Amino acid sequence: MADVEAIAKQACAEAVAAGAESADVVVGRGKNLSLDIERGRIKSSDASWGSWCSVRAVVKGGIGWASAPGADAEAARTAARQAAELAALAEPDPAFVSLPRPEERPEVEGLYDERVAELTIDDLVGMCLSNVESARSVEPSVIVTGGAYCGRSESVLVNSLGVCVHWRSTYVSTSIDAVVRRGDDVGTFYDYDSARVMEDFDPNGLGARATQVAVGFLGARKIPSGTMALVFGPLASGSIGQAIASAASAEEVQRNRSFLAGKRGERIASDLVTLVDDPFIPRGMSSGAYDGEGAPRTKLTLVERGILKAYYHNSYTAGKAGEPNTGHGTRGGVSPTNVIPELGDRTAAEIIADTANGLYLNAGWASPNMVNGDLSVTVDFGTRIEDGQLTYPVKNTMFGGNFLDLLRNIDAISSDCRREPGQVLPTLRVRDVLVAGGG
Amino acid sequence: MKDLVRWVCDEAKRRGAAFADARAGESTASGVFLQDGRSERLSQSTSRRLGVRVMKEGAWGFATTEDVTRAGAEAALDAALAMARASEKLPCDLADIAPVDPVIDTVAIEPQEDPRSVSAAEKMRSLQAFERAMLERAGDVAVNTIVNYSDTSVAETLANTRGTLLEVRTVRTWLGAGITVQREGLRQRAFERRAAQRGYELVRETTPEELSIRAADVALSLLGAALPPSGKFPVVFSPGVTGLFTHEAIGHNAEADLVLAGTSIIEGKIGEKIGSELVTIIDESDLGTTWGSYQYDSEGTPAQRRVIIENGVLRGLMHSLTTASHFGVPANGSGRAQDCGCRPQVRMSNTYIQPAEGNIQLEDMIRDIDLGLYAKGGHSGYVMCEKGQFTCHVGEGRMIRNGQLAEPVRDVAVNGMTLEALHNIDRVASDFSLDWPGMCGKGGQGMPNNCGGPHIRIKELVVGGQTELR
Repeated sequence: MADVEAIAKQACAEAVAAGAESADVVVGRGKNLSLDIERGRIKSSDASWGSWCSVRAVVKGGIGWASAPGADAEAARTAARQAAELAALAEPDPAFVSLPRPEERPEVEGLYDERVAELTIDDLVGMCLSNVESARSVEPSVIVTGGAYCGRSESVLVNSLGVCVHWRSTYVSTSIDAVVRRGDDVGTFYDYDSARVMEDFDPNGLGARATQVAVGFLGARKIPSGTMALVFGPLASGSIGQAIASAASAEEVQRNRSFLAGKRGERIASDLVTLVDDPFIPRGMSSGAYDGEGAPRTKLTLVERGILKAYYHNSYTAGKAGEPNTGHGTRGGVSPTNVIPELGDRTAAEIIADTANGLYLNAGWASPNMVNGDLSVTVDFGTRIEDGQLTYPVKNTMFGGNFLDLLRNIDAISSDCRREPGQVLPTLRVRDVLVAGGG
Repeated sequence: MKDLVRWVCDEAKRRGAAFADARAGESTASGVFLQDGRSERLSQSTSRRLGVRVMKEGAWGFATTEDVTRAGAEAALDAALAMARASEKLPCDLADIAPVDPVIDTVAIEPQEDPRSVSAAEKMRSLQAFERAMLERAGDVAVNTIVNYSDTSVAETLANTRGTLLEVRTVRTWLGAGITVQREGLRQRAFERRAAQRGYELVRETTPEELSIRAADVALSLLGAALPPSGKFPVVFSPGVTGLFTHEAIGHNAEADLVLAGTSIIEGKIGEKIGSELVTIIDESDLGTTWGSYQYDSEGTPAQRRVIIENGVLRGLMHSLTTASHFGVPANGSGRAQDCGCRPQVRMSNTYIQPAEGNIQLEDMIRDIDLGLYAKGGHSGYVMCEKGQFTCHVGEGRMIRNGQLAEPVRDVAVNGMTLEALHNIDRVASDFSLDWPGMCGKGGQGMPNNCGGPHIRIKELVVGGQTELR
């Protein structure tokens, strides 16, 4: 990467020489392989590779961006001059304070694995065929789509204040959609596995698991509207933490576009809810020592026993607020990393058994209107709970309300969970949710 | 570029490919992001890409690089052939192509005013006028305003082993305005956009009234809107929501690759009545400078008008070269790729429900509804094709009470089973609007689409409201 670092440093110097008060440059390269499966057979295999360069220049807080294909010194210098010219034209922003300054941090372990970097398309073929075989072992007529993907990338960020950060990462993932038909009746489900290193990658049985649940979705019924408990399973609960984290972006809060604006220090959820943003989880999919601007990341308690404790900052929002940079910048935006919930003291099975009238979300997401928290969501994969039992799958069903009410009504979080690299996915229950049904 | 893509095809043939195509493209883009009174971010980017697709021994391989040179092309062809060899282990039955008549042509969108000739300073001035108008309309309740602009100029060259050689130049311009307003702790937002295959004239011809003032008016009306009720109701869609419904609920199901994948609910139903006889659905790609239009798809097939549903009967699907071969029908120009770095997929273009003849207006559709919902501004939607279930998020609506439009309601999604909803369309108006430009995502690629239609009425849909019915 020494060549790439030299290109980035030259381009950064060029931007400053062309009038930028400060600048940062990212130069990177990567390679990806992907394989798509259709009806259990290979639809296509794809390879892509490339390199890139992007320059951000700042003049009195105004920002100029320019990017060019290739890790090419001349193209990078041209982009640097363009970015500086655009920054000079952009209108000054007195709220801008500074790009990040250099701070050394040890890199998080396990973000790059040579074995993943060396995976071949034949390895992906093997994964996909094994998914298909595993699915058919449950139901021979299952229709399988999905794929397998892997890639590696390395890049360097340099800024005019002396930051020089290198990133290197790998990923491998596979996903499956299983469709089971009985006449006009259709049952479907999906599953996935993803990892940065081979130790964490175990797609065995993925096809069988997705197909078993898909078979269970045959005979879905419409239900009448009513108020009931919603039990978010592991493939649905993660969206709640993600929605809180997105709304806790200081950029959204400062611009008054977030339903969490003005709520730091206040109760936003039941006291069962504690969420920590932890960028230092070894091998986590969103882990890393530095954010996208080269600032050191920090571990952040986002929600503690229901109280909103923090907003996510990048260098701009931190400067504007006069607060420390939490290291969640994306070079122009703010993004959470691994949002980890604290687990409860009852198992998922106990929570379901304790639910007299409810709806279990096997998968899905609760994505509120980010400015006011209004929520209106379709239940894509839901199972009715009656007298503590999962009884039958539902269709044509929605739920609505306000996201903050939903958070305050969380009355159980499970002690057991699904774990993925950088993810802890429990089961959680929300009482008294308005459900609209087609029955 | 022409020599390079032709060389790739000749070489692929020499190395045993039954079919190959190569696309090389260069693009430049510029953008202005104006927020809270400041043009705070100006951007410019260039990109280039070569994509090589080969079919050999009944299997497909694809490779892409930004190295658009002979060396890059050689590496991409080697990789594409290696990918096809891997696919050979269990190739799907898509690995053939429909008969292709070679096309040799050069086509270009010629904007009246090339956006590359307009300075960033002038673009900033134009956007400021939109923001000022929005702020004047909203007054003190405005807490955040955004105006964003982008233009993209693309030159692509396509060749295939059947002799096609195409050069296509396009220009696309996008202008959007968004506002967040707040009163007594209630916050609401609204967006409007204009987008077309046109140059900077799109900005000059757009008035604040139809863009930023409209966004402000919608946001202000939402401040006074009630929470929607929860339950089942008759629902009337505005042309924008009709377009969203048509795109999500039916359009995706009629993409032939999803039918072949076994994930469409209309598989095996061609020639069958699958909806109300009032419903005729068209996907039409040759509509001038409309955002979703094009003259050739990314496989070199001329753009055309595709009748999906005619008077309730499923007539046909959207096809690429490969799906057309499987179904034994001519390719109909729906093989589109986001750019030269992506493999073509079956995609929609401009999708709409045809309006009724005569004079049927909104009032005629709500007159006999005692209690229902008028879904007015579409936000977004999605479909689960294999389950036949769709969802449309609607930013603004009105309750219908006793045959009249009543109180405004906000932030509501409606959900239905596609085939039931198609049968339950019991009114189609004679008005029409095709003005819902957007980017549709599929298989990791974003594609410019447009959709629309007339007002339509569906007897019953589930409304995911937030209050018990009053």
